[in-house]
Formats: sequence, structure tokens, C-alpha cells
Amino acid sequence: MAKYIGLRLAQSVFVLFGLSIIIFFIARVVPGDPARAALGFLATREQVEKMRVEMHLDKSFPEQYYYWLRNVLHGDLGTSVYTKQPVTADLRRYIPATLELILFATLISLVLGQVTGILAGYFRNSWFDGVSRLVSYLGIATPSFVIAILLIFIFSQIFRLAPSVGRIPIMMTAPPTVTGFMVLDGLIAGRPDVAWVALNHLILPAFSLAMIHIAQEGRITRTSIVENLDKDYITMHKVHGLRTSRIVFKYLLRPSIIPTVTVMGLDFAFLMSNAFMVELVFMWPGFARYAVTTMLNKDLNAMVAVVVVIGVTFALVNLLVDILIMWLDPTIRIQRRGGSA
Amino acid sequence: MALLEVKDLHVGYRIFEGDLHVLHGVRLEVNEGERVGLVGETGCGKTTTVKSILRVLPIPPARVMSGEILYRGRDVLSMRPHEVRDLRRREITAIFQDPLQALNPVFTIGTQLRDILKDSTLHSGGRRLAKKEIHSRCITALEETGMPDPERIMTNYPIQLSGGMRQRVCIAEALSRKAQLLLADEPTTNLDVTIQDQILRKLDELVDEKGSSVLMITHSMGVVRDLTQRLHVMYAGTIVEVGPTKVVMAHPAHPYTQGLMRSVPRLTGAGISEGIPGRIPNYLRPPSGCRFHPRCEHAMPICEQEAPPFFDVGESHLAACFLYRR
Amino acid sequence: MRQERKADFLASLAQRRRSLAKGWYKFSRNPLSVIGLVVLVLIGLAAGLAPHITPYPAHARAFTNFKEAGLPPSGEHLFGTDRIGRDVFTRVIFGYRFSLLLGIVVLGLGVAPGVVLGLLAGYHRGTWIETAIMRVTDVFLAVPPLVLALAITAMLTPNLLNEMFAIALLWWPWYCRLVFSVASSLRSQFFVREAELSGASESHILFREMLPNCLAPILTKMTLDMGIVILLGASLSFIGLGVQPPTPCLGTMVADGAKRLPGEWWSTIFPALAIVIVILAFNLVGDGLRDVFSVEEV
Repeated sequence: MAKYIGLRLAQSVFVLFGLSIIIFFIARVVPGDPARAALGFLATREQVEKMRVEMHLDKSFPEQYYYWLRNVLHGDLGTSVYTKQPVTADLRRYIPATLELILFATLISLVLGQVTGILAGYFRNSWFDGVSRLVSYLGIATPSFVIAILLIFIFSQIFRLAPSVGRIPIMMTAPPTVTGFMVLDGLIAGRPDVAWVALNHLILPAFSLAMIHIAQEGRITRTSIVENLDKDYITMHKVHGLRTSRIVFKYLLRPSIIPTVTVMGLDFAFLMSNAFMVELVFMWPGFARYAVTTMLNKDLNAMVAVVVVIGVTFALVNLLVDILIMWLDPTIRIQRRGGSA
Repeated sequence: MALLEVKDLHVGYRIFEGDLHVLHGVRLEVNEGERVGLVGETGCGKTTTVKSILRVLPIPPARVMSGEILYRGRDVLSMRPHEVRDLRRREITAIFQDPLQALNPVFTIGTQLRDILKDSTLHSGGRRLAKKEIHSRCITALEETGMPDPERIMTNYPIQLSGGMRQRVCIAEALSRKAQLLLADEPTTNLDVTIQDQILRKLDELVDEKGSSVLMITHSMGVVRDLTQRLHVMYAGTIVEVGPTKVVMAHPAHPYTQGLMRSVPRLTGAGISEGIPGRIPNYLRPPSGCRFHPRCEHAMPICEQEAPPFFDVGESHLAACFLYRR
Repeated sequence: MRQERKADFLASLAQRRRSLAKGWYKFSRNPLSVIGLVVLVLIGLAAGLAPHITPYPAHARAFTNFKEAGLPPSGEHLFGTDRIGRDVFTRVIFGYRFSLLLGIVVLGLGVAPGVVLGLLAGYHRGTWIETAIMRVTDVFLAVPPLVLALAITAMLTPNLLNEMFAIALLWWPWYCRLVFSVASSLRSQFFVREAELSGASESHILFREMLPNCLAPILTKMTLDMGIVILLGASLSFIGLGVQPPTPCLGTMVADGAKRLPGEWWSTIFPALAIVIVILAFNLVGDGLRDVFSVEEV
């Protein structure tokens, strides 16, 4: 098992290298002068020239990459042209916001998506199943920004139930940053009012993010449960007199969520992509919005860093998902070893 | 009173093209301490009968149209869910044909065995078993089936065991509780020929020790001859003949049984065995009257009009055929 | 000899007709898929004939008419007008044009190289060829497609061409992987060995023996991908990186209109619905295709 993880990590490192090279290459090849962009158009020619040397822009491409890589390994991801801050500082500021959003969205999608999937599968062809199928078709076909806008339209503007901008109201002061999670920080600072408000602000964006997952993963769970209900071993569990709760929540559930977990890893890509849209619409001060802004502004250092960070996250999540699957489904673990446990 | 009595059971299956009338008046009896066989071709409804007894028919698309299944005099079909569960935990147990499909692939043998024991004492005043006791009973159950190294088997997953070992596990699962009636649905058909014999003998031993009654379902006449005292012959959802095994095999009364006996290859005597001409009926539009009449060389006009009841053809020997009408 | 060839040809034609008929039967068993197909045909026709069937084709180009700006849906303007007076209905139909064009071009450019590479990698399983191809694929798959598309489009000038190019560049890895998994399991099957032994050339084996077996998942995925590409394109233009104004694009229309919610809801809601409908239609048809290609067990 450890060997497998080690192998996967090594693979990921290799892949990330390749990725960084590609992105770096594209960034440098693009027209435009990063030095001038950094200094603004009021800078004099000498200043720009000096900046070019500082940024190693006069050196060859492999050398530039080497300098960049060396900096990265020392924790220096360069300075953002746009925010004028070190990229690492920017990341530290914005990542927790996105993390909070993503975690909350995942929670919603697990609870709503999986529970509906299980019920729809167990009571297949009931009205519940039909309705959930309709909802999931719509959910898969609707882009996250459309969902975001619709939610804002209905819940924020017409019914005035939930806020639609930012993490906390403008007038409210934020609690000191401990975890970076607004809800937790509010509780830690002894200000439940902040925590409550932050939760309100989380609902709509998290739901927009979660929708496609509820739709897709719930559907897969439903199909999986329906398939497994007919399996011989479930009949045998009944024959042997196991109690129903044990059959459903243990012996039926575990084989059924395996395909779902497999998809969750791939879906995480969607989650990240959708975070971009959702953060824009809700003006959520998070990593994804930062990423989009840097890209729109051709902020090369930040852009490269962003892509690499995303790549790293993606690789880690996929690895976690694969480990989870191996735990859930011993047959995979065994086949991998060629027969012995 | 018979231990198990199936009376005039009619079961149907709804499929896309229509309604299949699968079981057509099945009657079956198992007495206490008896080993009873049920033979018939594949597709004649043996498994459906077993599933009906245990009430694990997939309803829908299946449905019980009429009939009774009496266990110790009480109708299983009208029992409440918790009574059925008690029945499964304490009285009736089963082994089926495909041991790989019968075991949950993502849980260890140990987990599955232990859970069976854990839940077997629920509800009806049995005491809760301690962990240690559960574990030792599992080991004992595995040992009884002739499994080497039961401790290790408990930690294995079904996919790691061979077919024969899996079936032993299924037997252990079935016999880990003291059951009065064992329904064995083709327990060795999917196994290697070399192991079939072993497993059957072991099953025989165990059933003997525990004093259970057995309903052995198979399409192999050899198994039936060695292991059963009384025999039912099934064709197309009906029982066509019933009697002491030796008698039925030596003097088959129903034309179908006669055909079956002729089909069994003999080591001595005349050449190649004959089959029975024709095919098993289409359950969507089954033949009227006696379901065997299209293939029967003795068919008479009445065979097409009425389904034959049982007629006496010997001591405790009955056949559903108008040939024996007085 | 010629007689034989002709008979063979006719026979294979008849067989193809039969399997098409069977395919259609399976497809039509699911009413939703048929609805999806009908919707797609309608949208396709509308998009193709856009200049001729829309009430105000000029509104799809640079056009302003502030006197008629911000009008709600009415008989004259089915979907109302947007903030500079353009008919929303017309622009939605023209927007479909670009969405469909995007899908076709991206898949056209991206699928073929992916399939070829996948076949190569699957056939040369276990050699450096496979490793090289699959590692490069891994690199492209290391980040979500939107991110890379964003990055690439952002760095080049945002316009339709670059957008198409950027997305197409990212699309081939998915097909490469899909075909690779099918091809590598086919590789060890008898008919491939036979072809090799009888001296068939590699391209023959790849394209005449292995490819036909991969067609089913490829076609299904392409249909579902149309929906995803359109979604991606809409997302990109929503951010502002797609086609530039005044060209009508559904994503941009949603973005522009969103600023005017809840007041002039029609300039956002209708383009948004249009996006959902076309993606839904492709999904339904894709599901139907999956049914067609699935082997049913009786």
C-alpha cells in the first residue's frame, strides 16, 4: 500500500513538472512585455531595462525556468504584477475562503446528493425517483453560473432570503483570522453573530457549486443501488435473517457507493472549475477569483503559480479518492497485488 | 404433520411481453428428519419454489397467485415480516447454486459470518451472544465444513477463495445456526466435478449430525440417488411424480420421469441414452391441460383438456398422469 | 468475381440498414432521447437558417437603438430587448450558431488526434510509445480543462478562433485515454493477432480492425461532449474571454444581463434557458446513444 502511494506521488511530481514547463513556456511565449507590465507605462526605458534584468528576461528560456524553479523550491512564487504582493501572500489570503466554500459545497452535495440517490434507488420507480431524475437531468445540463444567477434571482432578489455578495456584510468587521474559515473564526472569537451571518453568505454560493454534484453523483448512486438490489448476495443476506437496517446501510451501501466515489475524483475537476464562475458571480474573495483576475490581467507569475497550485490540489485529491476506493473495495486492492491480501 | 407442505402453489412473473405462469399448482412435502429430492430440468421452476418458501421472491415482477406454504402447519405466505425473519433465523436455511454471487464481495468472510450469528438471536427472546462466543461459533462452523485454517479464512475476501471453499463458506453460513430445514438449490452444480462429491458428502454428514431435514434440489439423478429418500419430479412448474427415490428411479410412472431415466447414461447395458423429444414450454403460452402432453408419446385427448391430478401408482408413489386413471 | 463482390456489397449494405433500424428502435424506446433529438434538430435548423428566420438579423451585428432598449417580452420582441436595444430572441438564435460552431470545430479538431494517439498507445502497449503518449496525456489532464482553457485564452487575444483553438487543444487527452483503454484490451484479442500474423500493416490493424470496436464509446462521448464544450464556451464568455461584442454569444449575454437583475430579467433568463436547453438536449441524445450501443441481456 505504501509502495503504491509512493509510486503515485512520484508520478504526480513528474506530471506537475511537465505541467509547469508547459505553462511557463506559454506564459513566456506570449506577446507583451512583463517588465513593462510590472512597472506601468509611466516607467522610463532604463527602469524597464533594469526590471528586465531583474526578472531574468534577458536570459534563455531554460535558464529562466531554472530561476523560477529554484525560487519555487524556496517558497518564493514571485510577485504578482497586479496586487504587488508576493504571490504566496496572496495565496494564503485567498485560499481559505475558497476552501471554506468548497468544503461546505461538498458537505451539501454529500448529504443531499447521496441521501436522495439512496432513497431514489431503494424506492425505484416511485414518484420520488421520477422527480429526482428530472432534477438531476436539469442539474447536469445547467452551468454553474446559470444556477448561481438563478439562485440569486429567486432567493436573494425576489424572496430576500439570503445574501448574494461576499462572505460577510460590508459593515461588519471580520473576526481575527485563525483558521481562515469565517464561520469557525467567528465562533472562535466568541462572536456567534458573525458565524451565523457568514453561514448565510455561504449558502447560495455553496449550493450553486454543489448542484451539479448532487445531480450527477446522486444519479450514479441511485443506479448503483438499483443494480445491487438485485444481486444474489443481497437475497442471501435476507435468507440468513440479517436485519433490514444492516442489509441496507452496510451490505447494500458499501458496494453501491464505489462507483460514486470513483466519479467524485473526476468531478473534483468540475468543482474547481465551477468555483471560478461562482466566486465571480458572488464576488467571493477567494482563490478562484484571484486566478481569473490574474489571467485577465496577464499577471504571469501569479498565473503560473495558480495553475501549479491547482495541479497539486487535483493530484492530491485524486490520490485520496483512489486510496478511499481501495479501502471500500477490497477486490481492487487484491487484484492489484495479484491474488493475495 | 409434515414439516413443510407446499399446497397448490401458483406463481407468476410479469415481463415486458406479458405474464409468465411459472409455477402451476406445485405440491411438495418434507417430513421431519427426511431427505427429499426435487429434480427437474433447468428452468422448470425449482429455484422459484425455493424462493417462494423463503419469501425472497422479487415482488414485483413476481407474484404469488394462489396456494399455501405450510411450515409446521402455519402458512408462510401470510406471515408478518418479523415472523418471516424469525423463520429464516431459526428454522429454515438455504444454500444456492453460485457461491461467488452469494457472498458479498466487499466484506470479509468473517464479517459476514459474524453478522449472521449476531442477528440470528434478535427479537425472539434469544440472548445476545458475546463477541468471543460468536467468533468461536464461526470457527466451528467453518471447521465442520472441512475447511482448513478457518482463522485465516475469516480474514479473507470471497474473491480470494476457490469455488469449493466458497461453497463451504456458504454451507457454514447456512448451518451456523441450528436449522430444522435446509433447502439446498443445486449446491454443487457450479463446482468442479472433482470437488462435487466431496462437498456433497460433507453436506450429508453435517445434515446427519444436526438432524435437519433437507430439500435437495438438483438436475442430477446421481445426487438424488445417493442422498435422498423421497423424490419429487418437476416439469414446467408442476410436480409430475412423487415417491420413494429408489422406487421412482427403478419404476418411473410418469412419461416424463421415464424419459429422464432413459436419458441417464448407463455404464452397463445398451448404447447411447436417448433424450426426450421436444422443448420445455413457453411460460407465456403454456400448453393447456397437462403441460407435458406436447412431448408425450402416450398423450390422449383428455391430456390437452385437463390438468391431471395425482393418481396412486404404488406404495406412497403418486404420478400426475391420466394413464393411471381408474 | 465481380458478381461475388457485388453480392457482398449488397449484403453488407443490407446489414448496415438492419443494424441502423435496430439502433433506431433501441433509441426510440426512450421518449426523452427522442425529444432531445427533436430539440437538437430544431436548434440546428434555426441556427443554420438564422439570418433568414430571425425577425431582426441586423441586431446580431453592431447595432444600437436606445429608444427600444430594455423592453420586456412582447409580440414584437419575443424575448424583449437588451440594454442597447437589440432583440434578444434574434441574438439567442445567432448565439446558438456560435455555440454549435464551437462544438463542431473543437470536436473536429480535438477528437481525431486523440483517437489516433489512443490507438497507437493501446497497440504499442508496454513500450516507450505508450509511456510517452500517456504521460503527456496525464500532464494535460492534471488540471481541470476550464483552468487551462482560461489560462491559454487569457494569454492570447480573446476571440472565437483562439477560444476554439484553446479548447480543442485540451480535448484530445480525453479521447486518447478512452481509446487507449479500449484499444489495449482489444490488443490481446484474437482478431488482432490474426491480422498481424497475416502480415497486415499497422495502419490497417489500427484503423480497420481496432477502430470500429472503439466507435461506440467514441460516438457516445462526442455527443455528450458537445454539451460540455458548449458549457465551457459559455463559461469562458461569461468571464469575458470568449467572442467579443457585438457578436452574440450566449455566455456573454447572460453576463451582461445579470447586471440588470431583477429588473430586466429577460436579457439574462432567456439566454440562460437557451444554454440549458441545448446542453440538456445533447445529454438526452447521448444517453439514448448509450442505450443503443449497450448490449442488452435478456
